[in-house]
Amino acid sequence: MERKLITGNQAAALAARDSGVEVVAAYPITPSTPVVEEIARMVESGEMDARLILVESEHSAMAACIGASASGSRVFTATSSHGLAYMHELLHYAANARTPVVMAVANRAIGPGWNIWADLGDTMSQRDTGWIQFYCSSNQEIYDTVVMAYRVAEDRQVLLPAMVCYDGFVLSHTAMPVVTGIGEFLEEYRAPWKVDFDEPETFGNILSSDYYMELRKDVFESHRKAIRIIKKTEEAFESLTGRYSPLLLEKYMLDDAETAIVAIGAIASESKIAVRKLRRDGKKVGLLRIKCFRPFPSTDVVEALESVDTAVVIDRSISPGHEGQLFSEIKSALYSSRNRPEIIGKVAGLGGRDVTFRAIEKAVCGEFRDGWINEVVV
Amino acid sequence: MVEGVRWEIRFHGRGGQGAVTASLLLAEAAFRCGYYSQSIPFFGAERRGAPVLAFTRISEEEILERSQIYSPDCVIVLDPVLPGTVNIFSGLKNGGIAVINTTDAPEKFRFHQNVLTICTVDAVDIAIRNHLVVSGTPVVNIPLLGAFLRIFSRIPPEITEDVIRERFRRNWKANVRAMWEGYENAVIRKVKGSGKTMSQESKCSIAVRVPVSKPVKGVAGRTSIWRDFVPEIDYSRCTGCLNCWLHCPESAVLRDGREVRIDYDFCKGCLVCSSVCPKTAISVAREVMG
Repeated sequence: MERKLITGNQAAALAARDSGVEVVAAYPITPSTPVVEEIARMVESGEMDARLILVESEHSAMAACIGASASGSRVFTATSSHGLAYMHELLHYAANARTPVVMAVANRAIGPGWNIWADLGDTMSQRDTGWIQFYCSSNQEIYDTVVMAYRVAEDRQVLLPAMVCYDGFVLSHTAMPVVTGIGEFLEEYRAPWKVDFDEPETFGNILSSDYYMELRKDVFESHRKAIRIIKKTEEAFESLTGRYSPLLLEKYMLDDAETAIVAIGAIASESKIAVRKLRRDGKKVGLLRIKCFRPFPSTDVVEALESVDTAVVIDRSISPGHEGQLFSEIKSALYSSRNRPEIIGKVAGLGGRDVTFRAIEKAVCGEFRDGWINEVVV
Repeated sequence: MVEGVRWEIRFHGRGGQGAVTASLLLAEAAFRCGYYSQSIPFFGAERRGAPVLAFTRISEEEILERSQIYSPDCVIVLDPVLPGTVNIFSGLKNGGIAVINTTDAPEKFRFHQNVLTICTVDAVDIAIRNHLVVSGTPVVNIPLLGAFLRIFSRIPPEITEDVIRERFRRNWKANVRAMWEGYENAVIRKVKGSGKTMSQESKCSIAVRVPVSKPVKGVAGRTSIWRDFVPEIDYSRCTGCLNCWLHCPESAVLRDGREVRIDYDFCKGCLVCSSVCPKTAISVAREVMG
């Protein structure tokens, strides 16, 4: 174990190295470029024993990742924003083909207006591709989550690709202390099935209506089972490394809370300061942080929010024509609960607009009524 | 002197001067002294010459903030031109510190706080004397860091020296020298300000909601200060082919029929116009800031 001051992108690259990744295929895009640069440097210097495939586009990057994973390798890639959007078709492929690729995504807005800053809209719009999605709120978590994501993704009951998402610049380019080292947490990846030149088989073959629905149902069921695997992985990681790194969700001062802030990504960390300040003013506020967005931990969300009166959900993305995606999911999870709280949705921080703990405090105190936190409250 | 468990430092610079690196080196030095630290770069327009910000937080506890710094204990100003164009004192705590790269005396600066500790150093001179000039830009970050360490006694300069030595493996000697020269040449004075709170500068309003634009004075101010070189049209050779007007990436070449002129308020000196002119009618001169 070593403690050093590194950026979120460096944390992702070091985690890929420490996870024993064998193949990386990537195409650079701001703000995830330094992940690939760091990997290139480590491969070049011999620090990382992997094959780095540089391709001409993100579409090809994901195609190469799927191929490498299907031939039994542990595979990693990184992208952002338009690069992720360009991968869209292959994201479905990776999930349906059951290739447990892990991808770091430094979240960035999609243009125009051209914008390179933090916004979760890029990964939120890949919600239904079948990928597991984790959203980090510190650099330590980026490191730990990449490592844990392999254990979840490669589990025989799961076998699905996973995205490790983190706010562009806010985490990707900000340096923070990170403890690295995973001991014996990961075993070598043993693919249940792999492409073999000596015994040719068809990969990604045609599937009629007689079978396709079963295949989709399998993917659906695997996501459900993944919830339990995620909990087990979180426990195993803590007992082996001594680091508690929430993988499904995190409750902060929520036990006796009357109001809950529900947040995701870096804003959730900023929200903890708001919770402390409001507690100091005698207000019973807590935080529920959603770490895993797919599979969505509905049961645990209901359990966490049933006892509060009000839940204020903060999204860093929006679904035009409806509302913030997290807001929708939280409401949907609580629909069947008899004790559901009043649920309020707020949208903040699009395109990298700074979100301060004071703005979050104001949102909780009801001063931002229309649901938009536009102002940078200083 | 700043007291307490937490210090927040804001760096003002322009792309290429090393504000982001200075913020990271300071965070690293603090980290080695046992503090929990954080270094946040803020890239505005992602171009050489554009104003940039960087932030360093140093704390005895884990830092949960993910937002920028609005009420710093200290500002470090890398660009001698910036004080005239950017409000470097914005939000700086009363009694706080400003470390400024300038040939002026500390007393020359005007601000709304009651009192500030102003620390000045001619970092350009130190950078040039130590041959710390990259692509025509004096890299002034290290001497300013040295000047800052003179006031900020929590981090021994020797620790920062180690950090610099590891960061600049090839060129560490000149950088370490520059740090110590900054440390020794810093002029530190307590200076009284007006004590009048200024009204918050309003952010620019968005006039059009379609992402289409013409150069106007926005949050970056007049972008002419990004320019190191200035293009000049020789009208005796210009044929009005409009190649420059077509290629200018900033729409800073204006046209009236076939006659072109350069909008010097917004020309950033990229010199694309000069390179695409088939008649070599656009010459290049060094910018002189007046």
